[in-house]
Amino acid sequence: METRIRSVFLGTVLFALANTGYAQQQDEPQAQNQTQSVIEPELQRRDINESNIDSENFEIGLFAGILSIEDFSSDPVIGARLAYHVSEDFFVEASYGKSEAGRTSFEILSGGAPFLTDEERDYTYYNLSLGYNLNGEVFLTRNLVFNSATYFTLGAGSTDFGGDDRFTVTIGAGYRLLLTDYFALHIGLKDHIFNSEIIGEEKTTHNIEYGLGATFFF
Amino acid sequence: MEVMAKWMVLIGLIACVSTTVKTVNAEEVLPEVQIVEPYIEMHTGPAVGYPVFYVAEKDEWISVLKRRTSWFKVRTRKGQEGWVKQDALKLTLSSEGQPVEIADGSFESYQERTFEFGASGGSLEGVPSLSVFASWVITENIATELSYSQALGDFSENRFALLSVTHTTFPEWRFSPYFRLGLGQLQTKPRANLVQSGEETRTSDLLAGSIGLRYYLAQNFVVRLEYQNLLALTERDENEELEEWKLGFAVFF
Repeated sequence: METRIRSVFLGTVLFALANTGYAQQQDEPQAQNQTQSVIEPELQRRDINESNIDSENFEIGLFAGILSIEDFSSDPVIGARLAYHVSEDFFVEASYGKSEAGRTSFEILSGGAPFLTDEERDYTYYNLSLGYNLNGEVFLTRNLVFNSATYFTLGAGSTDFGGDDRFTVTIGAGYRLLLTDYFALHIGLKDHIFNSEIIGEEKTTHNIEYGLGATFFF
Repeated sequence: MEVMAKWMVLIGLIACVSTTVKTVNAEEVLPEVQIVEPYIEMHTGPAVGYPVFYVAEKDEWISVLKRRTSWFKVRTRKGQEGWVKQDALKLTLSSEGQPVEIADGSFESYQERTFEFGASGGSLEGVPSLSVFASWVITENIATELSYSQALGDFSENRFALLSVTHTTFPEWRFSPYFRLGLGQLQTKPRANLVQSGEETRTSDLLAGSIGLRYYLAQNFVVRLEYQNLLALTERDENEELEEWKLGFAVFF
């Protein structure tokens, strides 16, 4: 009886031992795998080349502001801009904006026939500009620092207003505050200069726009 | 019930997308370079005026995060992040002990370009004209180009689109002449005050021949100067011949 109990006990122990051994054998390669996976990323270095670096030279965004249309009224303007940064100093920019002119003071005071139809009051423009950055930093607090740039632009384009497309020269200045590497807030001021004969004699008009914008670098 | 099902699908989709994003992130190994010079200067921003706030030492490995113009954002093993100039990065070594090469800005890469995008400004019969263009380089000599121009005069506005073929005779020259032949359409719209006197918008077919000079500037930029002769096949007795001079700027990829 005793022998039987003993052999059963022994059998159980042996079985248990065998199992543990097997389990250990199974565990070992896993452990090895784990150590390997910890080391691996250090061994597999990626070499640098043009294609595996994320380059962020394009900047795209929207802006909104007020456009003061000469002889007409000041009206809200919205638009989009796309810029390509050529170097740390220069960029090229394309922008498109849309507004709608109100009435001239003459139209309001005389109460007579309007100069322009509703369709002709739509003001849309595009321009291609070259910009120059003055890079800088803003210290909001001792430890909160943002990169920024003051920039100047000069460009040419076209303005569709009063039923015609007019060749337009645009000069501008702006301020870009980079909240992160790829997200920026803008404050901008632009003067759109074109010749117009809408209210009679041909003259050079200055249409000043200012506004806020937000852009992403990609 | 249906609304709930839609929400479930939406949440599922978001979950899928976010897991994919995570997997992509997990798989992404940043390229690393080793400093061989005594030190490398890290600036607070991607321009030469930004102050140097940290110096990474010789033999240190730095990972390269991103690039803006000719500046690279790097991170050291200790987690310091800053911007390094391209010239400084060229002095580092890759994992195989080779000097780091970033192959942009070479005339060779210009000769191997596939696409070119740009804009130009000039004068069409004395009135200002603006154009945008995109070209696809087929062989080193031949490229096709699509362009759209607008010329704004005192009496009319001309808009034209052209599809053309360019032949660059000496592609191995940095200053290189080229010839172009194109077909397109021209739309002439009289100024609003002339519409009242009976003028109408006309559309006519257009033939174009150009001769130009292109110059590889630096990095991936090209400048070109061009003379274009346009022949508008009008419905009137005489065809209209237009001359255009323009100076343009292009980026190639």
